[in-house]
Amino acid sequence: MQPTLIKKGAEADIYIVEWDSKKAVSKVRSPKSYRHPELDSIIRKHRTIHEASFMSAAKSAGVMSPFVYFVDPAKAEIIMEFIEGQNVRDVLTPDICYKIGRYAALLHTINIIHGDLTTSNFVMNKRLVLLDFGLSYYSERTEDMATDIRLIKEVFTSAHIAVRKAFPRFIEGYASVAAGKKTEKILENVREIEQRGRYARMA
Amino acid sequence: MLCLGIESTAHTFGCSVVNSMGKILSDTREVYKAPEGSGIHPREASRHHMELSPDILRNALKLANVTMEDIDIVGYSAGPGLGPCLRVGAVIARTVAGFYKKLLVPVNHALGHIELGAMLTGASDPLVLLVSGGHTMILAFSHSRWRVFGETLDITVGQLLDQFGRALGFASPCGNRIEQLASQSAGKYLQLPYVIKGNDVSFSGLLTAAVKLASHKTELADTCYSLQETAFAMLAEAVERALSFTNKKEMMIVGGVAANKRLAQMLDSVCNRQDAKLFVCPIKFAGDNGAQIAWTALQEYLATKMNVQVEESTVQQSWRLDSVHVSWRR
Repeated sequence: MQPTLIKKGAEADIYIVEWDSKKAVSKVRSPKSYRHPELDSIIRKHRTIHEASFMSAAKSAGVMSPFVYFVDPAKAEIIMEFIEGQNVRDVLTPDICYKIGRYAALLHTINIIHGDLTTSNFVMNKRLVLLDFGLSYYSERTEDMATDIRLIKEVFTSAHIAVRKAFPRFIEGYASVAAGKKTEKILENVREIEQRGRYARMA
Repeated sequence: MLCLGIESTAHTFGCSVVNSMGKILSDTREVYKAPEGSGIHPREASRHHMELSPDILRNALKLANVTMEDIDIVGYSAGPGLGPCLRVGAVIARTVAGFYKKLLVPVNHALGHIELGAMLTGASDPLVLLVSGGHTMILAFSHSRWRVFGETLDITVGQLLDQFGRALGFASPCGNRIEQLASQSAGKYLQLPYVIKGNDVSFSGLLTAAVKLASHKTELADTCYSLQETAFAMLAEAVERALSFTNKKEMMIVGGVAANKRLAQMLDSVCNRQDAKLFVCPIKFAGDNGAQIAWTALQEYLATKMNVQVEESTVQQSWRLDSVHVSWRR
């Protein structure tokens, strides 16, 4: 089977390939011509290695993510399980928001900060699957967890303004895993980050 | 219909007459220059605006070949910006609107950048990168508002360049000087923090690191080069993420930093990859100007007949663009 390009993403090119006679995905972070080559290669290599290890780590928290078959840091390529399903960006419902909230809290319980918690990084098949861990890192700081949540809030209020109660449902999902006190503390920190933003109204 | 626009949010005081066809009949402005190594002092900038405003206004009318009698609407920048500067523009606007009995329309300055940019470039439904001293935002229009798809979590890219330049004793705005110095570098990249959080960026750590780098024995040109390369690559990546997410086929860059050629070059490369058409606001109207206020006030009035009484007109130092209802766009 010839590799077929299915998506020219912002982060990487996605190909459908054959791996061990199974249909698989090859994610290649090809060089960005606009970035200085030195900066570019540091970023691509770093994110490839991180992504592969966090995809596996997420599973131990109960978060579904594709299985990693092969990693080539030099080529900045990961070959992983092919996930059938729809991109959540196109099919978001309040119920999925709740599930996203649960996933975020599950990752945070083992101190994984996803770093790019946006709807286009989720696929819905029978269950919800989280992709793209290229910006993930470990941290136990409330601030970093709040950054994850502020980002998805920004996505809800820009791209998904028509989905009603998206953020409240997300928070319900989050609180169903995390303690109520922890959720409160993180939400307080989210407000703090928003206050720091440009031209935010002083509360 | 003719509109007089008055811009007075930060270092620029500008007046412009624009007609409802989008023809800019005049555009006059003066920029307050802070002493080398220091930033805009709001009081000094407002004094500058106060002293020069009568001449700027008179010239704007004269160049457009009109008198105040011919004007239908007076638009003014009501925020966001520096309080003392905003008040100067508002006072002038209220005075002429009150005396000549004209309609008074407050305008969000950032919205002005986008609306004028779209009118001048012909972009119809773009993803917008608004980069200036006051803003670093990635926006797209949806459900009656410009929605924020990404923004800076701390300082803006304009502040990054200005504060870095000022630390070296340059006169602000420093972007041009930094761009020139960077072009003298042989392309030696010195590593600096590259901070991207999803679609958001953060420049404060980069500023600290770049100032520190400049204080060591490094070539200044290389430091400027590396600063530009890092900061703009962050913006380019955030834009590419937003383009890929929204599937927009147009991308527009507006605001003072839109004048930087290296940034435009990087975005061009991003747009090529994502099959989007790049629109760059003409340099002359990239920075703050009265035309952006006049054009937006016209659009607002023509769509909604919205205007305020002199005694009810206000300014707001903090006024987020994503809180403004825009009824004339689909």
